[in-house]
Amino acid sequence: MFDFIIAGIQAPIFLLVLTGMTVGMVGGFIGVGGGYMVTPALIVFGFPGYMASGIDVTHIAGKSVVATIRHRQLGNIDWVLGLAMVGGTMMGVEMGVRLLNYTKSIGLSGIALLTGSVGIMVGLFLYTQIETHRAQKKIQELAREGKTVGRELSTSNIPKFFQSISLFPIIRCHVARIVISMWVVVLVGIATGVLAGFFGVGGGFIRVPALVYVVGATTHIAVGTDLLEIVVSGGYGALRHFASGNVDIMAVFFMIIGAMFGAQFGSIATSYVRGPAIRYILSYSLILATVGAFLRLVYMLSAQKYEFLNFFAVVFTLGEMIFLCLFILSLVYFAVRHRHGKWVPAWIPSLVVVP
Amino acid sequence: MAEPSKTKGTIKFVVWTAIAAALISYLWIEYYNGTLVSWYYYKAKSDGWAVNANAFKDAGKDKPAVLQIGSFETIEGLQAVPVKKGDRLPANTNGIIDKKTVEEGKRVTLDGNTLKVTVPMQVKEAKGFKFKDTFKHKGIQTSEWGGAWCVAFILVLGFALGMMAEGFTDMCGLKLTKIKHYEGVH
Repeated sequence: MFDFIIAGIQAPIFLLVLTGMTVGMVGGFIGVGGGYMVTPALIVFGFPGYMASGIDVTHIAGKSVVATIRHRQLGNIDWVLGLAMVGGTMMGVEMGVRLLNYTKSIGLSGIALLTGSVGIMVGLFLYTQIETHRAQKKIQELAREGKTVGRELSTSNIPKFFQSISLFPIIRCHVARIVISMWVVVLVGIATGVLAGFFGVGGGFIRVPALVYVVGATTHIAVGTDLLEIVVSGGYGALRHFASGNVDIMAVFFMIIGAMFGAQFGSIATSYVRGPAIRYILSYSLILATVGAFLRLVYMLSAQKYEFLNFFAVVFTLGEMIFLCLFILSLVYFAVRHRHGKWVPAWIPSLVVVP
Repeated sequence: MAEPSKTKGTIKFVVWTAIAAALISYLWIEYYNGTLVSWYYYKAKSDGWAVNANAFKDAGKDKPAVLQIGSFETIEGLQAVPVKKGDRLPANTNGIIDKKTVEEGKRVTLDGNTLKVTVPMQVKEAKGFKFKDTFKHKGIQTSEWGGAWCVAFILVLGFALGMMAEGFTDMCGLKLTKIKHYEGVH
């Protein structure tokens, strides 16, 4: 047990490092901060609620630096796209926080938050699942025809529409190979920022699909670019949390140590898989987080009568971290087997890359 | 002789490990000598009494904790220092009992030169989570510059750890190459 002087509690270092490691792995792989998983975990470890979110946001900023460095090495970051989006995201986060304060002032915040997040997450899950399934089938068809299938395949036509908007200034994103109006990028930043600010999360789980399905980036580039965004928005969030006295820097430190290992593995693991594999894991992470949020919504709507719902919500959230890590590990394991010509399940070849 | 990329990787790993170790040592020392803690419990956000809430966490209605009021430089045990909004807090403070709470008299009462604490903790709820509401962290203002320093520190630490890991893989001959995003049908 470690004595956290600022938080005024004692908590096991091992659990903090482990949490940092698992969330780092998931975050490095799908490009999210993982705030929706970490905050409940920290509360379970005994940190006060307000401090849990402060520690969470600050560790996300530090962890994202680690993951961004690795994604830069892998060529997954489009700096122009990321920097063009940052301004919009920050503006959106402020608008989201004000919207949240408004809903709080009319006594709606808890239920509005949960209903909204459940709705958005289910919508994103369904769209990502359907589109990714279609993409996977197309990869299988192309492979049967003997064609060399690229690392990325998206069947969505939405990016074509957004890229055709020719509103000055137009930006050229060389890494992502996109030519698009800066206003589209800024508006996507604002929209995802509003949702992030309103729901009190980093917003990666909304921004990665937005970068793929609206802007038209490949999934790998969306992941790397989003992590760059999280460094900036997470850093700003951390500053606000420090000013409000919500952070014990030592807890952040232990989580970053764990995240250093996890984020390395998660980031490097992206080089073993195709875009649809990342999108699948992103969609599963969305739906599992939704189930946790839904249990909590029912708990709140039932006037907090059924304590077991709250308990299951926490258990589900913690279980989700482990499930996603196992999923990523198994994908890498099968990718390595496939590279060596060994047996793999039938659904694996369309999701992994053979150099 | 090692390959040039491995030699470069080794240098990168050693340099960034040294930087990361220096940063971690700095954090450890500053946390335990109280500098980072004093940035956290920096100023009073409201009028009231600065206290160390750990000293009376076990108090109750049947055994109230009696805090001696005075102008102490360091709060030791059952002591309280009157503060006004914006005052620097004495050492070892970790919370403020504000005037309003004392005026209400439900948890703390003023009795001459002492404060009598009867309810040091109550269970409250926020965002669906129940939590223990104590006097710890109450009414305190952190140092803005201290906060900015800590955020900068975390980002630099993340950078050092990231570069260290990159150096490690290069040193082991696992130098990663850029992903070819646009090869084949896509």
